[in-house]
Amino acid sequence: MNRFIKIPLVLAIVTFLTSALLMVSEDLTHEKIAEQKKMLLLQSLKQLIPAELHDNDLIADAQTIHHPELLGHRKPQTLYIGKINNKISVLAIPATTPKGYSGDIDIMVGIKTNGEITVVKILEQHETPGLGDLIIANKSDWIQQFSNQSLHLTNLKNWKVERDGGVFDQISGATISPRAVTEAIKQTLLYHNGFMQNIGEET
Amino acid sequence: MSGFIRKRLIDDNAALVQLLGLCPLLAVSNSVVNALGLAIATVFTLTLTNALVALIKPLLSKEIRISLFVLIIASVVTALEMFMNAYFHELYLVLGIFIPLIVTNCIIMARAEAFASKNSLWLSIKDGFFTGLGFALVLITIGAIREILGNGSLFNQAHLLFGDLGHSLHVKLFDNYQGFLIAILPPGAFFVLAVLVAIKNKISKN
Ligand SMILES: Cc1cc2nc3c(=O)[nH]c(=O)nc-3n(C[C@H](O)[C@H](O)[C@H](O)COP(=O)(O)O)c2cc1C
Repeated sequence: MNRFIKIPLVLAIVTFLTSALLMVSEDLTHEKIAEQKKMLLLQSLKQLIPAELHDNDLIADAQTIHHPELLGHRKPQTLYIGKINNKISVLAIPATTPKGYSGDIDIMVGIKTNGEITVVKILEQHETPGLGDLIIANKSDWIQQFSNQSLHLTNLKNWKVERDGGVFDQISGATISPRAVTEAIKQTLLYHNGFMQNIGEET
Repeated sequence: MSGFIRKRLIDDNAALVQLLGLCPLLAVSNSVVNALGLAIATVFTLTLTNALVALIKPLLSKEIRISLFVLIIASVVTALEMFMNAYFHELYLVLGIFIPLIVTNCIIMARAEAFASKNSLWLSIKDGFFTGLGFALVLITIGAIREILGNGSLFNQAHLLFGDLGHSLHVKLFDNYQGFLIAILPPGAFFVLAVLVAIKNKISKN
């Protein structure tokens, strides 16, 4: 066969076969992946909104929100609301920051009505292993410093990493990822303030 | 041990003798669990890509063989990434960027070009498996040495691989160990690799 026909033909056949492999793999895994993500999220939710702080069905009462400017959302996200006796007790607020070292970092912050943080969870990140990824809880305890923090304890002006004149530890040799996360947490606190004010005005 | 296997595990070991695939070898060997996770993924990939390359052997021609290898290797790794994401989700999150980076492990390209494109399916599968195993053993050894020196522990975070069973695998070797920091930093990887290469050379000479 003429090689000008053979070569493109072979490339086309192999591309077709490898694409088929990927399609089949995607088809076999996407439900399981979604399930795993959901399970991880439910586990995280247990810490974001502890059992003693809510008596409602978190999934049923969840709301869809979309705030590209304030919370960096790229698509609509789910806001989980914990209630006791039908009064809001904790919000679990999703936020995205584009300022990570390698693309977006997705976090979720649990905040009680009094503005105090329960925990911060890193949902997705692609930071450098050993440097930026020390922001996740099972790699270092950096993220724990935000638990029980609030804008009453640390005002807006100081809500930064130490390197920038704030009060929060950074990670030495990797300031970019902690800086991004610290700022995203601040944004969720501001959102929380606005949310609670709106509720106050409505009732 | 047959000569075929011995060659791939020891005499021509991809990591210690050919010094291939150093990027993952040095980067992910800071703990046994990380090393083991990547080692298993690499053995899988190498076996599978070798098999696929051997299967399309009649189609290969000189001009496009490299493009075809890249296409196959990238697809296999992407598929593997999806399966790890689905079935070993937490380990997937820990290994992160190093799973897609298996694509750049030149051992895989080297075996496709030097072996699988010229040999039968069964031999290629065996070659992939044992070359991968040789690489994996070195990766895990370096991981163990670095974790012991750096943290004074072994199998830290083993639950990511073995589930709840893993918690009992974790051993602290010394109480009150201060940690020899450089062992878990990148230079430590070079030092440990150098020592292993030296030992291997010494043994081969005798
Ligand atoms: C290959 C490479 C990867 C890096 N990855 C990260 C990262 O994921 N997160 C981060 O904050 N800094 C990362 N850094 C370091 C940043 O470039 C920057 O130097 C650091 O954040 C500044 O921290 P320092 O002010 O404590 O020195 C990386 C650097 C290199 C060379």
